[in-house]
Amino acid sequence: MLNNKPNWPILALMVCLTACKILPTKSADGGNAPVFNPDKTVEEIWAAKVVPYLQQKAGPFPEVHTLATTDAAAAGAKYGNPNKQANAPWTFAVRLEGKIVAANTQSRAATVDIDVDGDGKADARVQIGPAVRGTALRDSLDFIQFNDFTNQIDFAQFGKAFNSYADKTVLSKLPREALEGRSAKVLGAYTLGSGQDLPLVTPAEAEIGSKP
Amino acid sequence: MKLTRRMTLAAFAGMLALGTAMPACAADLIAIITPSHDNPFFKAEAVGAEAKAKELGYEALVLVHDDDANKQSELIDTAIGRGAKAIILDNAGADATVAAVQKAKDAGIPSFLIDREINATGVAMAQIVSNNYQGAQLGAQEFVKLMGEKGNFVELVGKESDTNAGIRSKGYHDVIDDYPDLKMVAQQSANWSQTEAYSKMESILQANPDIKGVISGNDTMAMGAYAALAAANRKDVIVVGFDGSNDVRDSITSGGIKGTVLQPAFAQAQMAVEQANDFIKNKKSPAKEKQLMDCVLVNGENAAKLETFALTN
Repeated sequence: MLNNKPNWPILALMVCLTACKILPTKSADGGNAPVFNPDKTVEEIWAAKVVPYLQQKAGPFPEVHTLATTDAAAAGAKYGNPNKQANAPWTFAVRLEGKIVAANTQSRAATVDIDVDGDGKADARVQIGPAVRGTALRDSLDFIQFNDFTNQIDFAQFGKAFNSYADKTVLSKLPREALEGRSAKVLGAYTLGSGQDLPLVTPAEAEIGSKP
Repeated sequence: MKLTRRMTLAAFAGMLALGTAMPACAADLIAIITPSHDNPFFKAEAVGAEAKAKELGYEALVLVHDDDANKQSELIDTAIGRGAKAIILDNAGADATVAAVQKAKDAGIPSFLIDREINATGVAMAQIVSNNYQGAQLGAQEFVKLMGEKGNFVELVGKESDTNAGIRSKGYHDVIDDYPDLKMVAQQSANWSQTEAYSKMESILQANPDIKGVISGNDTMAMGAYAALAAANRKDVIVVGFDGSNDVRDSITSGGIKGTVLQPAFAQAQMAVEQANDFIKNKKSPAKEKQLMDCVLVNGENAAKLETFALTN
């Protein structure tokens, strides 16, 4: 029993390391920020953690979606966040490349429909803001957990902060006119069953090609 | 303090010894404490929890705190006094409840919270709550669509002491505020109450006859608001609620209220009892204290499938 004692600090350190990794209140000045600032936290982790995670985790849309519709749990283990809440639908990291076959820029929750497999029909709907729905970006990240937040409001604001940051740094720079026929390349996430007709992808990176 | 705690422990140990000595003693007790059953949502919780407790061989003690933190504290004392093995609680305030749940914990009784969070972790054994924010987003997106992304609207907010009132309002605004042509002309609390929503809606309508929609923090207030609008011959106003009650289901199917968001209240309460059972019988704690359950949008397309806070297939 006694010679177990020296192991305690190491154990404590290990616990701390795993816990610190996902602490949402970590601030740049090194101190323990008492107030949770979701926008600042997202800004801090975006380039360092979020984009690399999505790049590493994402699969090509046709592959992800085929597996998702046949075996959602298998797709979740491969492309999703295995730490998700029990009854929550799976969210997957995806990359997609194709041609814009339709655009809805009338709504502030603007979208483009993308044909990925070249059959002329839309396969996915990509959000291009400024209003961005859902929490797909947050929910795709395996290092973000509800348990690490004080309450639903903090967790919710954190989800919203991802969308705002994507809109500010990526989506707001995309063209809005004459989108049909242009090429598009997206890295992002979508939640299974979120779109009413098509899977609704929230981008973390997006490019739209020049007019054909 | 220490002495009383030790005495409780001793008493507890004594009871355990008695329990083993007399296997034929009465069934273990689970206390189920919720807000008033006047609101069918809380009734569904109590009914769901009680049914599951009985199914698993427990005796159930069903109590209501009427959103009064003092009364809740007394009921916790009652549960402790009656030797409950677990408490299923839909609480009466995120801050005020922490001490009450701690009191039960100190007496060796685990609490399994449903519906509402408290502002502390490590005190309750579980906090199983609906993802109110996700649900509010669903409701708001439907509302925005029905409104055609523009027009004047009213928001009815719930009881201030209930964290869910704030969470839902926040969820609504996180979606709606992205649409500058949607203008909120009034925002008032009707304290989850149908009658209060009716009278508030009457006066709001007099001051703002040009409203196009009402988004409500729950179904009972949506019912009150719609009744006031109907009485003023303004059935054209779009009303969206939250909870998924049978009343609103009937209103949707008959072309009244346009939508609501279903919280899986019945399933949630049953899940809490299952986790309590697992702890009582197998000493197994839930994997996570805080557990979120997703909500589902209910509109004209699926309203007919809704029954007592659950969707049938």
